[in-house]
Amino acid sequence: MKVVPRYLVAVLVVAVVGAFAAGCAKKAREAPPVPPPAPPVVQQDTTPTPVPPPTPPPVTPSESKVTSSDFQPAFFEFDSYALRDDARAALDGDAKLLREHAEVAITLEGHCDERGTVEYNQALGEKRAQAARDYLVAAGIGASRIQTISYGKERPFADGHDETAWAQNRRAHPVVR
Amino acid sequence: MTRRLLLSLLALALGAAAAAAQTEVRIDVSGGGRRIPLHCEPLAAAGDRNPKLPSTLADEVLASDLDQSAVFVVTRAWRGEQPFDVQAIVSGRWTVKGTEVTLTGEVRDFPARRPILSKEYRAPLAGWRAIVHQFADDVVLQFTGEPGIAGTRIAFVVREGRDKELCVMDADGANPVALTADRSLALSPSWSPDGSLLLFTSYRGGGGPRVWVMQAAGGRPYLVSGRPGNNTSAAYSPDGREIALTLSADGNSEIYVLDARGGSPRRLTDNRAIDTSPSWSPTGREIAFTSDRGGTPQVYVMERDGGNVRRLTYDVNYTDSPAWSPRGDRIAFVARTGSGFDLYVCRADGGDARLVVGGGSNENPHWSPDGRHLVFASNRDGGFALYVTDLDNRAPRKLDTGGRPAMSPAWAPRLAGLVTAQVSTPNHSNSGGKP
Repeated sequence: MKVVPRYLVAVLVVAVVGAFAAGCAKKAREAPPVPPPAPPVVQQDTTPTPVPPPTPPPVTPSESKVTSSDFQPAFFEFDSYALRDDARAALDGDAKLLREHAEVAITLEGHCDERGTVEYNQALGEKRAQAARDYLVAAGIGASRIQTISYGKERPFADGHDETAWAQNRRAHPVVR
Repeated sequence: MTRRLLLSLLALALGAAAAAAQTEVRIDVSGGGRRIPLHCEPLAAAGDRNPKLPSTLADEVLASDLDQSAVFVVTRAWRGEQPFDVQAIVSGRWTVKGTEVTLTGEVRDFPARRPILSKEYRAPLAGWRAIVHQFADDVVLQFTGEPGIAGTRIAFVVREGRDKELCVMDADGANPVALTADRSLALSPSWSPDGSLLLFTSYRGGGGPRVWVMQAAGGRPYLVSGRPGNNTSAAYSPDGREIALTLSADGNSEIYVLDARGGSPRRLTDNRAIDTSPSWSPTGREIAFTSDRGGTPQVYVMERDGGNVRRLTYDVNYTDSPAWSPRGDRIAFVARTGSGFDLYVCRADGGDARLVVGGGSNENPHWSPDGRHLVFASNRDGGFALYVTDLDNRAPRKLDTGGRPAMSPAWAPRLAGLVTAQVSTPNHSNSGGKP
């Protein structure tokens, strides 16, 4: 497929630039001389999914009339990625918005409450983002307009430690790219 | 019959009561038996007295190291008459000359007071803690045949606002060093078996979670796996040649094994459920992991080729974060409660699951290299911090991370502890030991 090399290049560029930038930042702060580390970058792409990792800055309202706040998040039950009725209703609205604004592309962020472990929640958050994406795609939105990313429990919307906060934090959250 | 029924009902009720009052339930699972009583004398300060480095500081660290070894119970002062149950006396000389410090450590049996260990350690002033740790670890070695863990280090992440950065510190919380300043999310550190490298998950550079590696001494991270979707919870195999991790490049979180450079992916799990958090057995032949293929997350064990999968425990409803002990005989894991996780340890075959730490949420357990301790993250006293349990009836002790929220600890293998150059010259060889 044609997509593979592009993805490979994108990831490599990001890796090299990222590592270089980090190296520069580090040098200024930390003195200890470090011998050249052993493991170099090796990229092995298994799936031809067109995902350029760097997220560009959000589109400004002047360019597009749609902003992230126009979209509605889909909320979930504890340890579940099944779409509830209210989640489907929210995503129906999001699908309508995407149909009306064909120029808009979104990232669906998967989020979890704090009651799972770090690693499991990263997987669960991805399942939630994917469930929302699949629903939008089934509603006719092009898959290329929707990226997913999981933040697990690392970026909660509500800081509390009760069901009110947890319910807020279990979501697939659309962000305009 | 009725009587037996009543008794079993009573047992059930007691069990429920115990479960309800689980804040301080701890059970000795170390199997090491009683601690050896040891008397630790103040170090004699000979030579120059350096006001910046009084021997009393070294006293404190030495006694604390020995006490926290989980091998000894330490007394510091004779109370009235001499305690008859002390088995040995630890003493030493602490000499500061110019920019160098020398520790001459001695262990004598009691009451005969014959020397069973005598060793001299030297270090630059700044590295004084390292030689105290090394002496403490040698004392443990003398009594158990295996060095202690005072000289080891622990990697972890600290929360800075919305971000998490990777850090490393001595096992007692001293000498903390920040390894990243990415203003991103660093998660799930894992040491290479030689203690030189750290694998970790990071969102650095934008995009999703990817696996990076960096030198534990600091430096720039290198990308190990940046495949589409999640690249998380990576762990080096015991021989350092492979990396087990979670990838979702096929659309669903599965466990893969890569070569140490991040290539040649080999998929171990294949189902629609979540599979994550691999932990190698010390032989490298098996991997414990978490899967919700049965409906709720549970810890499973499989062989390194993905075969022979079996569920580890059946009596706990929701389990996660397996950590295989370095001796291979135990697996630590967490089990969900109403608002968090309790810490459990079971045999490697899943039997004999026991609650080790309850109260608050206790997450990401990780074994010390000698298998006598578990370090874990907990909010048992409020915000998240790191704690160590000795797997006995002592309360977990909190590690000082400068008051910053800390989580995801990973205990380094033993070799990583030698942060400071030191010369260790035996003064004279062991003179026989006990009769």
